[in-house]
Amino acid sequence: MAEKHVVIDVGDGAALPRKRDRGLFNAWWIALIGALSIITYLCITRPDPYWRVLKFLPDGILVTFQVTILSILLALVLGLFTGLGRISKNRVINLIASTYVEVVRGIPLLVQLFYIYFALGQVFANLPDSNALFIFLKNMPPLVAAVIAMGICYGAYMGEVFRAGIESIDHGQTEAARSLGFSRTQTMFYVILPQAWRTILPPVGNEFIALLKDSSLVSILAVSDILRRGREFASVTFNYFETYTMVALVYLVITLLLSKVVSTMEERLNYYERR
Amino acid sequence: MLKYFLPAKLLLVGMLLMAMSSTAWAQRTITFASDCTWPPMEMINEDRECVGFGPDLVNAMARAGGFEAVIRNTAWDGIFAGLAAGRYDAISSSVSITEERRRAMDFSDPYFEVKQGVVVRQDSDIQSEADLAGKTIGAQIGTTGYFTAMRIAGNNAKSYDEVGLAITDLANGRLDAVFADDAVAADFALTNPDFSQNLTLAFLIEPDEPEYLGFAVQKGDTETLELINSALAAVKASSEYDQIFKKWFGGE
Repeated sequence: MAEKHVVIDVGDGAALPRKRDRGLFNAWWIALIGALSIITYLCITRPDPYWRVLKFLPDGILVTFQVTILSILLALVLGLFTGLGRISKNRVINLIASTYVEVVRGIPLLVQLFYIYFALGQVFANLPDSNALFIFLKNMPPLVAAVIAMGICYGAYMGEVFRAGIESIDHGQTEAARSLGFSRTQTMFYVILPQAWRTILPPVGNEFIALLKDSSLVSILAVSDILRRGREFASVTFNYFETYTMVALVYLVITLLLSKVVSTMEERLNYYERR
Repeated sequence: MLKYFLPAKLLLVGMLLMAMSSTAWAQRTITFASDCTWPPMEMINEDRECVGFGPDLVNAMARAGGFEAVIRNTAWDGIFAGLAAGRYDAISSSVSITEERRRAMDFSDPYFEVKQGVVVRQDSDIQSEADLAGKTIGAQIGTTGYFTAMRIAGNNAKSYDEVGLAITDLANGRLDAVFADDAVAADFALTNPDFSQNLTLAFLIEPDEPEYLGFAVQKGDTETLELINSALAAVKASSEYDQIFKKWFGGE
């Protein structure tokens, strides 16, 4: 099978550990065991305030996961359509998708969050109660606003990942499928995407981890994620060092575990590619 | 012989005097951190200067106490960490004197009394503390307003980086009430052109003990504290304190 080897390097997610990459693999274990033992050590030797901080964080961890998972789902859907739009022969669709990518990538995520939550929030608040959509927009909880903002932002990046993934499949595949009588849509969904998926998954995994880290930005929207909970704790106790040490370690453990999950998934998917 | 030395001696004495006067000239500079998002106590005007009751009081104190005051606009979340790290000498940011804070820093004599004001939308049915049960309450992170919100609403208390963001969320219908120092609550709800149309100050929460604002300094920094306290006493004793009060709050 003449498959072009494509390396897509996007995002700033944690490096994914791979079995054959022993150095990184070891670094992963050192970081994980190191982080876990520091947490344990601190909580045992100085339960006040370290254990108190840790006990303050769990619902924040849950919120961080909620925001991350919902955002990545939205970003995947948006990214698929954007990626398809970017390679579309229809000039209008292509232009819409490309403009979306250009606009979103040119605005910092923090500004987008403020914009969707506070700027658009003000617009939505003045909408009449005339239909269900307006009522939903008016009463949009902070979490939903955060998810929409993160999803829209990462959707643009994801669109580029999908586009690159689809373009990595040799054009001969499309020609073969078309000559066998597949429609353009069928070709895309039955022939191209199932193969492109393997190229797409690693950067998607990286984006997922990057998104989890960026989700700490939603703490400005009164969404009680890990960072917000930590800041609330520090603002009462003034234990800045202890609180942010704990917050950093918790994030580190989560991203390390996730990078392991992503790399395992990737390995499974590439099972047949082993040489 | 002596004749020759006399001018030299005079010169020496003169230099000594100049040196002394120049140390007197080089006044002590006290850097104050202020979170200028707290109108009318501390806020940014159109020229991007920090103005308000707090800065006016600090400047009057600097004149009375013979020191130079520099006000540095600092984000509230972390303002205490900056003091502990020695990035500035004092905090002038409507800091309420509380037991918890006393453990981490030292406070000047009180310069203002506050109560917690409850801001609601004009169409709200919240009229007393009892009506707040089960409501979502917003306040600025790490303020006594937020501590009060946590006490009353528990997990329904939401913390914001700035009180203005909480007020915006209240106006946009995402919160039921916002807690802030009464002067600030009144400024947003009654005089701010953007919010006075649909917000109002419902009532003040009666505290168990009176809540006072003070200037915070690093724990053990008695030198700065004494300078601040004597300057504050001088300003309070003169008519200047009342003038500043009148300028920002009108009336008595």
